[in-house]
Amino acid sequence: MSSTFPILPTILPLGDSAVLVRFGDVLGDANRAAIAFARTVDLEPVAGVLEVVPNLVSVMLRYDPRTTGYESVAGEIRLRIGGLETAPAADAGSWSIKAVFDGPDLDDVAASLGLSPEDFVAAHARSDLRVLATGFAPGFVYCGLHPESMVLPRRSTIRPKVAAGSVLFAAGQTAIAATDMPTGWHVIGRTDFRNFDPAGEPPTRLAAGDRVKFVPTS
Amino acid sequence: MTSVLVRRAGPLTTIQDHGRVGVLRHGISASGPMDGASYRVAGSLAGQGRGGIEFTLSGIEIEVDGACRVAWAGGAFRASLNGVPQDWPGAAQLAAGDVLTILPGPSGNYGYLRFDAGIALPPVMRSLATSSRVGLGGLDGRSLRAGDIVPLTGSASALPLTVEPQVAVTGPLRVVWGIHADRFESSLRQRVVNEVFVVSPRLDRMGVRLDDPQGVFTGAGTLSLVSDAMVPGDIQILGDGTPIVLMRDHQPTGGYPRIATIVTADLDRFAQMRPGTIVAFEPVTVEHAHRLLRGMS
Repeated sequence: MSSTFPILPTILPLGDSAVLVRFGDVLGDANRAAIAFARTVDLEPVAGVLEVVPNLVSVMLRYDPRTTGYESVAGEIRLRIGGLETAPAADAGSWSIKAVFDGPDLDDVAASLGLSPEDFVAAHARSDLRVLATGFAPGFVYCGLHPESMVLPRRSTIRPKVAAGSVLFAAGQTAIAATDMPTGWHVIGRTDFRNFDPAGEPPTRLAAGDRVKFVPTS
Repeated sequence: MTSVLVRRAGPLTTIQDHGRVGVLRHGISASGPMDGASYRVAGSLAGQGRGGIEFTLSGIEIEVDGACRVAWAGGAFRASLNGVPQDWPGAAQLAAGDVLTILPGPSGNYGYLRFDAGIALPPVMRSLATSSRVGLGGLDGRSLRAGDIVPLTGSASALPLTVEPQVAVTGPLRVVWGIHADRFESSLRQRVVNEVFVVSPRLDRMGVRLDDPQGVFTGAGTLSLVSDAMVPGDIQILGDGTPIVLMRDHQPTGGYPRIATIVTADLDRFAQMRPGTIVAFEPVTVEHAHRLLRGMS
């Protein structure tokens, strides 16, 4: 999983004040490259760039058009692509998150995967997960990836509101709602862990690339 | 210290400042004024106190309990001070008991009240801006309503300035082609340029839905993508083909395809367009968009 990332990303304007660097359109290598690239830009800032936002397969760099231009930023991006190491950072965070697996969709999710609820919870706990990205809502983290045998699509209907702390499952990923929100993901459990504190510095605790283990509790 | 009593407020009246910039990676969009240029005009007229009140279509009425300078700008509303009509935009020195009334006017969705003193509410992530999406910032993270009291603190941080009237920009909204424009057929992209769209009544601080009377996007909004970061001005096409322009309280990330992004220089103007306004789009280069920005300052 280590080694230099061999695929050149697509670099394109996102409006007139941001550049999007997209490493692919499926998770996996593209996610690891996006995390590594964001980290590189954090360590080696680009002049005029105000904000670096890693996402599932891309990184957005928002710049100040009064002090720099698209071509300057894109050029600096290219200089930081060569030799990009996509192995997880050695100092990435590591989290054990206690969760109660009693969500309303747990039985259906387990049955869809041909497992008993107990076996599903055990298999879920064995998955070696990392934070793939934060997005959609404050502190909402996508963690993945589970093995192919645990991939399920989202629900066909959306729940208008699930509570902060809901543990969500879909598309080979587990997510944690940090605020009350609507979701089409399966609700498999709940946790006391809160990844969003408006008074915190920073306001979220989990960062892309961090290792995450879910520890079932009762 | 002077306080501002909100005697009347329309829906979605919020406290805003320059925005909660830099926290998109935590899943939080910046918020900030829907019409940033008018917010700054009001600030110049008032003396640059921190933050301001963004009011909406039906206007606002305030009463102060002490001396302060207040300025108003944005769109074209009708202002009166203790019943005496005022210019728009404008400013006045208020004394205890003075009542400023803003009534609906001929154009615009958003207007701003700024003061010489700063709004004395606790910043959240270094900003006073209210996020209607997340419910944070401003006054308890919510819209203002009648009876609310907004405390002010400190004195003017700058001398009030007069502001030259801006020449209203008209014509098509300039856009940069979006990050997924290549996923739409070239004939569809051509129709985006040739046809017109209409601002729908479904608009708020998160986004503005457009009506598409010519059916440009009918049947075109079926793609679902891995989500990327979003910016204000992004025009995304929902699964049912509805175009929606993301605004200041936008979702931080989105997985619907984005055909284009309205340039920064035209986004304030777009925010002020009322339902029923016909809009056309003109693609420009990023460099051209930057020249438009420099022309504004």
